[in-house]
Amino acid sequence: MIWFQFQSLIGSYPLALRGLGMTVALSAISLVLGTLIGFTLGVLRTSGNRLVSRVIGLWIDLIRGTPFLVQIFLIFFILPEFGVELDAFTAGIIALTNLAACFICEIVAAGIRSVPTGQVEAALASGLSQWQRMRQVVLPQAMRVSLPPLVGQYVLLIKDSSVVSAIGLTDLTRVGWLVVQRVPNGLLVFAIVGIGYFVVCYPLILLARRLERRMSAAHGEVQL
Amino acid sequence: MLENFSFRTIIEYLPLLGEGFVATLWLSIVSFAGALAVGIILCAMNLQHSQVLKLPAKMYIDAIRATPLLAQLYFLYFGLPRLGMVLPELFVGILALSLNSGAYIAEIIRAGILSISRGQVEAGVASGMTYAQRMRLVILPQAIRVTIPPLLGQAIVLVKDSALLSLISVSELTRAGQLLASDRFMPAEGFITTAACYLLLYYGLKSLAVLSARWLGVRPIGSRI
Amino acid sequence: MIEFRGVNKWFGALHVLKDITLSVEPREVVVVCGPSGSGKSTLIRCINGLETIKDGRLVVDGQRLGDRATNMTELRTEIGFVFQSFNLYPHKTALENVTLAPIHVRKIQRTEAESAGREMLAKVGLAEKFNAYPAELSGGQQQRVAIARCLCMRPKIMLFDEPTSALDPEMISEVLDVMVGVAEEGMTMMVVTHEMGFARKVAQRVVFMDEGAVVETGTPEEFFSDPKTDRSRAFLSKILRH
Repeated sequence: MIWFQFQSLIGSYPLALRGLGMTVALSAISLVLGTLIGFTLGVLRTSGNRLVSRVIGLWIDLIRGTPFLVQIFLIFFILPEFGVELDAFTAGIIALTNLAACFICEIVAAGIRSVPTGQVEAALASGLSQWQRMRQVVLPQAMRVSLPPLVGQYVLLIKDSSVVSAIGLTDLTRVGWLVVQRVPNGLLVFAIVGIGYFVVCYPLILLARRLERRMSAAHGEVQL
Repeated sequence: MLENFSFRTIIEYLPLLGEGFVATLWLSIVSFAGALAVGIILCAMNLQHSQVLKLPAKMYIDAIRATPLLAQLYFLYFGLPRLGMVLPELFVGILALSLNSGAYIAEIIRAGILSISRGQVEAGVASGMTYAQRMRLVILPQAIRVTIPPLLGQAIVLVKDSALLSLISVSELTRAGQLLASDRFMPAEGFITTAACYLLLYYGLKSLAVLSARWLGVRPIGSRI
Repeated sequence: MIEFRGVNKWFGALHVLKDITLSVEPREVVVVCGPSGSGKSTLIRCINGLETIKDGRLVVDGQRLGDRATNMTELRTEIGFVFQSFNLYPHKTALENVTLAPIHVRKIQRTEAESAGREMLAKVGLAEKFNAYPAELSGGQQQRVAIARCLCMRPKIMLFDEPTSALDPEMISEVLDVMVGVAEEGMTMMVVTHEMGFARKVAQRVVFMDEGAVVETGTPEEFFSDPKTDRSRAFLSKILRH
């Protein structure tokens, strides 16, 4: 019995590899896009324009306040009503990028706000332009604060990519779901799926931890 | 376009959506209570010096944090019957949510305890308190204060995560929206209404978190929602 | 009352206490001074076991530290410790701060502990601040609450770890006055401080430490007017220049 299951599991090996590839592709594309958009929006959010900041704030609340699953359904089923034809992969990328941009925007904005006003004043006093102040003084310091949560956020987003299996994309989780229909051993199948995610996510978790420790060491905080 | 947006259908489905809303609410409350219990136990294990308790707790927390909730949910949903435990979907869902959020709550509580300065511990030691007395009288009262806002943040995460339970056909809010969407081919009506209901819960919990942070004089929740 | 004999301590490779031999008699007030990093804080932190010693003998109130028979928790109730950074409990009022240990460690009745606590707070000049939280008090007031917190345990020994170095200059004297009062009532005290006025006024002995070793001991009179070693002369000239 176990041997038979094992054999059909090995038979599912190409499928599993495709699933892993899909998960990695989905995560990688939307992380890159999300980071670019999130950075831009984060800088805009703290630029001092009230209206822009409000609009971004509202969008963030809408994204943070609703389940990702519902967001995917909205994008996948409702955008076509506006005449936008989407396949599941594009819908998944849009949903994940949107989610990533939202969280990264907040992380970057928090990083920028954490830079003491004295730094901006010093830059002002030495005659740097707004762009120079941002690029030379504020962003480098903000990045140091933002980096650990940013890496942590990447882990969350890779995990969230599993939810796109709900619209039929054959990612790692969907592969597990398909295999378990043929090999009725949920513990084994989803333990293997879990290992797949673990292999991708755990190094990032360790990296985030290391960055965080280095940060607090640099700031001279007491380690307990 | 959405010019045919049908409020009539939404009103027609209001009882179903209402039931879904109530179901999401109470299953979130039950799961959060479960998660608190799991979190407290894990955190207590993690703070021990003995590796016998510390190591399993750490491994559990890492395993939960490095894998998606959906995979954990399917692990239990397809796996438990294998162990001879055939449980109702609702129960499996609550179990998965509790076990998942518990790992995050353990880390929140631990961060709260470690945020208490060394001097506080030493003041307790110097006045002759035992470990239990220091925990009870000095550390925990201060740690709980800084823990409440992030715990409310975790509650927001849990409410949103509960939407995944619709994928193992638990009748809750997202499931109700799906039914409306597929019965009447009206995805807009179904999912926008669903989203609005979640936003209601989100804004409620968020204001609670902000208010509690103000009352307790600690900084508000971070970005992990 | 306190007896160090050949005590050594390392932090990793750093030899922070070198062969310390020193004793403090009952009712004696000893001031410990020396440059920063000389090991003076570590020395008094060893006495109530906040730090552990590597070898040598340390006997406090007739009990040897590190001995299995010695109950540290019990011994600590006999030793008051005043921190540089006060370490008041921020979630408790002044009165709750001073009654917490008497109620839970000494197991004194709450009403009794509270009346003793009020009396003690009044004695350090904080009669109107019973219900104030630490955040509402000035540094000097917080440190006086911290001293009252120790005194409420009726300790046999009081240790002070640089009690005035975190304070604004104008608040130092209010804390020193309280400490002088405690000394004059006959408390056994060890005080790490650079306040030489305090040392002259109440100390029977001054201990000068440098690089983890006791370099010189003497009466305040001898030490200040006629330091015996180059190191203590250099140290004194730096302090007195202020």
